[in-house]
Amino acid sequence: MLIKTTARAALIAALALTTAAAWPRAASAETVLRIGMTAGDIPRTLGQPDQGFEGNRFTGVTMYDALTGWDLSSADKASVVIPGLATEWKVDDADKTKWTFKLRPGVTFHDGSPFNADAVVWNVDKVLKQDAPQFDPSQVGVTASRMPTLASAKKIDDMTVELTTKEPDSFLPINLTNLFMASPAKWQHFYDKAEGADAKAKSQAAWTAFAKDAAGTGPWKMASFTPRERLELVKNANYWDKARVPKIDKMVLVPMPEANARTAALLSGQVDWVEAPAPDALPELKQRGFKLYANEQPHVWPWQFSRVEGSPWNDIRVRKAANLCIDREGLRDGLLAGLMVPATGTFEPGHPWRGKPTFEIKYDKPAAQKLMQEAGFGPNKKLAVKIQTSTSGSGQMQPLPMNEYLQQALAECYFDVQLDVIEWNTLFSNWRRGAKDPSANGSNATNVTYAAMDPFFALVRFLQSGMAPPVSNNWGFINNPKFDELVKKARQTFGPAARDAALAELHAASVDDAAFLYVAHDVGPRAMSPKVTGVIQPKSWFIDFSPISMTP
Amino acid sequence: MPPSPTRGEGKKESDVLAYIARRIVYVIPIVISVALVCFLLVHITPGDPLVAVLPADASQELAAQLRAAYGFDRPLPVQFGLWLLRALHGDLGNSIATGRPVLAEVMRAVGNTVTLAIAAAIIGFTMGILLGLIAGYFRETWVDKLATSFAIAGVSVPHYWLGMVLVIIFSVELNWLPAVGAGPGGSAAWAWDWEHLKYLLLPAITTAVIPMGIVTRTVRALTGDILSQDFVEALRAKGLHETGVFRHVIKNAAPTALAVMGLQLGYMLGGSILIETVFSWPGSGFLLNSAIFQRDLPLLQGTILVLALFFVFLNLLVDIAQAAIDPRIKRG
Amino acid sequence: MTELPLSATADAALQAAPATKARGYWATVGRRIRRDKVSMACAFVLLLIFVSAILAPWLGLEDPYKGSMIRRLRHIGTAGYPLGTDELGRDMLARLVYGGRLSLVIGILPVILAFCIGTSLGLVAGYVGGKLNTAIMRTIDVFYAFPSVLLAIAISGALGAGILNSIVSLTVVFVPQITRVAESVTTGVRNMDFVEAARASGAGPFTIMRVHILGNVLGSIFVYATSLISVSMILAAGLSFLGLGTKPPEPEWGLMLNTLRTAIYVNPWVAALPGAMIFAVSICFNLLSDGLRSAMDIRN
Repeated sequence: MLIKTTARAALIAALALTTAAAWPRAASAETVLRIGMTAGDIPRTLGQPDQGFEGNRFTGVTMYDALTGWDLSSADKASVVIPGLATEWKVDDADKTKWTFKLRPGVTFHDGSPFNADAVVWNVDKVLKQDAPQFDPSQVGVTASRMPTLASAKKIDDMTVELTTKEPDSFLPINLTNLFMASPAKWQHFYDKAEGADAKAKSQAAWTAFAKDAAGTGPWKMASFTPRERLELVKNANYWDKARVPKIDKMVLVPMPEANARTAALLSGQVDWVEAPAPDALPELKQRGFKLYANEQPHVWPWQFSRVEGSPWNDIRVRKAANLCIDREGLRDGLLAGLMVPATGTFEPGHPWRGKPTFEIKYDKPAAQKLMQEAGFGPNKKLAVKIQTSTSGSGQMQPLPMNEYLQQALAECYFDVQLDVIEWNTLFSNWRRGAKDPSANGSNATNVTYAAMDPFFALVRFLQSGMAPPVSNNWGFINNPKFDELVKKARQTFGPAARDAALAELHAASVDDAAFLYVAHDVGPRAMSPKVTGVIQPKSWFIDFSPISMTP
Repeated sequence: MPPSPTRGEGKKESDVLAYIARRIVYVIPIVISVALVCFLLVHITPGDPLVAVLPADASQELAAQLRAAYGFDRPLPVQFGLWLLRALHGDLGNSIATGRPVLAEVMRAVGNTVTLAIAAAIIGFTMGILLGLIAGYFRETWVDKLATSFAIAGVSVPHYWLGMVLVIIFSVELNWLPAVGAGPGGSAAWAWDWEHLKYLLLPAITTAVIPMGIVTRTVRALTGDILSQDFVEALRAKGLHETGVFRHVIKNAAPTALAVMGLQLGYMLGGSILIETVFSWPGSGFLLNSAIFQRDLPLLQGTILVLALFFVFLNLLVDIAQAAIDPRIKRG
Repeated sequence: MTELPLSATADAALQAAPATKARGYWATVGRRIRRDKVSMACAFVLLLIFVSAILAPWLGLEDPYKGSMIRRLRHIGTAGYPLGTDELGRDMLARLVYGGRLSLVIGILPVILAFCIGTSLGLVAGYVGGKLNTAIMRTIDVFYAFPSVLLAIAISGALGAGILNSIVSLTVVFVPQITRVAESVTTGVRNMDFVEAARASGAGPFTIMRVHILGNVLGSIFVYATSLISVSMILAAGLSFLGLGTKPPEPEWGLMLNTLRTAIYVNPWVAALPGAMIFAVSICFNLLSDGLRSAMDIRN
């Protein structure tokens, strides 16, 4: 029975082989860029990607636009918020919770339907209005948490919408980079065709269908989709920003969660570009002529201090000493093969939110030792601290070796560092429970890395006293009236320049207070074949694929 | 599974049918228990079931709202009942992370695993039968030793490690074969031509190593046993041609060898998380791995259920086949 | 990895029958195995690995936990580091020797536990038969329905990563397999003439079970169990590979293999060492188990 089956399969295989060989292969001159992503699955394609910012990088900003976007045109300048599908916006002078957004005229979705105020309202409702037919719980989580204050949208006229926030919040235009505009007409088309017991089931079926054949307004259109294996995007020749019409015809995205598999795929020519190649393979890649790109990312690898009663970090001299005791350049060159940027704060000089901190974070061991001695410690009286960290994890870089490096470095400044190594998901959920929770296991610092693109995620949730657990990620219960006051000021300063200045003030205050042990920024390393040209890697989580070309 | 040695005389056909009927009836409680074990295994796992769609920095209201929207606020027995009821109707729910129907996801993945398993079976069984026959015929010679060492190495090697070593040699160093994936256009564009088979070769060889070893050992043992029996000597003495002896060997070895190969094929059809992960082969093991890491409960329990049910029926099939081939087998 | 060497089951079952209850039997087996050069070589290698693992702290090795970024990924043969260093600059020789401790425990303990549990269950089910057999064997069938990797991963996932949890989950994986072998061999032996003769001569069920059945069955199950050790070692390493087994920085071969994977382009031979250790132990156990089986097969 079995032999028969096997024989039949072999026969079919042999037949298929001959038939396939008989077909002439279609020759094509189209240029194709194949990319190996680190994600384990293709990020969701229906408008609000999952898989974190890598998701937004590949299925967000490629296929879709938001009302506002990021400037990805320079590798040197900070990446700032620029107009996207909205051309201008302003807050209502009388009621600071109301904003009007002027929409970009003449934009159409990939299915040909027009982009207008109705589309914006529809897209806000898909995640915020629970009784809207297009409301989709699966898109709410990733979206709503990134725009915590947005409440509703209203059409003023075809090209104007009014957005309302729960409280005055000057961060709204930055948050809106996360709300991608999907085509309501296309979705409606699927909804009308969908079968289902009730409206909810039909809606879910429509979203599932939309995910396979999506329509946004972005520079790339969805061409074909094999779940978990590959997504093909083709260029949108009618993109509204003529300067950003893609130069290559097609982009193929392949999920490859394993660093070695990615690297091997690049080396063997299966893909042209990989995200985050295996670090130890970098010399080999370079030697074989592959090109490496890296740039500082809005990402911080810190120790977040506990400030609860009795924590050794309550003494600012200790916090400053730790910050001065780390040779970050040594860490970069010795351990990370150059793949990090030393952190001297959440934002580095040149960033609009950097400000002018007076405490300069650098490697100065004598100064650190002096501060520790002033605080009452010395070679014979070490300060015991315990750090909770993980074995791996998204954005954690190389947590164990890096922490062991810090352990050795800080020993020189009279710290006795104990590591509490736990699993990444546990560390991440403990983050929300706070330093007082038993899950902290007596640790007085935690080592969760964070993205720093948006002021709420970069500063507010850590520094504002009201953000202490269980509300948000002020793990160490920082309670500093100065921070609270600066947060409030920044949120209620609406002129973009003035708002940035207020944020810079907040950031400078946090550095001066040595609120974290700032260690490193990730650099988003990627490796690619020399055929890929025109790559500009900005200081961002994202990258613009439009100017890239392929030499045959 | 192993055939129980029994006393001499054969049983009547009706006994075999009764045994088969009884064996089929047993499947029903097993299926329900398997479903329960799947559900419990997935649900006693610590961690939020919504972690795939709910960032850790989401507010508590949002978390509660989503929990209710997905039905995770209901008591576990109710959730189990609803899940089982829908599963009986062929609906395993929708994946949390992707929103796609679980059944379709699992079936597509199983299809890819079948491709891999067939290729691995062709390689592994051919090699295994050949080596086993050679070793059995030339027992206690250097040929036997070599074939046996090969077989033993096959079942002893950590195969995901072997897979990586093969990638290094054939993809990175020699650049002959692609390292990962299921064809230049993904599994949806799969075809049985060289462009695609290139992708299949390394994972199939890696997967084939264990069945190759096991089949070699089985065939070797069977051949050796049959050849050492007195009546073979008698046949040879009577002047029976070697091909006749060989036919005799094949006839006697076939039932056990087929049973072993059937089981091996079954195991391969179940997929291997480790091999499929190393080669990014989009099969059921790869799907399971994603489900685990995305903590996608409907997908996880659906995948485990489908795979487990597959094995329940495989075991059933093997038992029935053995009863049919060898009616002497008596079961309790 | 799900693909267990089932031929061993079949062989063990088939070959249990001719074993006699003679006292001299084990002496014969012992003599035969001592003459088997391959088995003896394997036993020697295993003994060497065991002893060095046990005596690791007294062998004057480097600290297996102490690393240095400066000396990471040294090649084999570097002065002071005969087997090179790992990705954190820890001495590979020390880590491989110390690694034997955890790896062998995680590989062998689940098989021993499953051997005790599975043999008891299988003996009772096989000897008593009837309803009890049905109850035990159908429960076992439920767990047997899960492929072993799937079951191990699901249980480890539910219990969380850790050495103890790995051992528990692997034990649960092996119990059904050993129970099945034990049950089928017992059922076979129970109906053999010599057992019926003992029963006819008035021996009680416990005496029969102890003397006749256990004596005739244990050997086969033991052989089967030794062949499971290699599966167990590879499976334990696989759990670490998926982040469900041993946690860093413990030296354990499976975990070392996995953390060193990133170095495979830079220093493939060092990266290959832990895999080679697993391979060596697993192949030795398999060969030993084979030798044992043929030594016990009196017909030859």
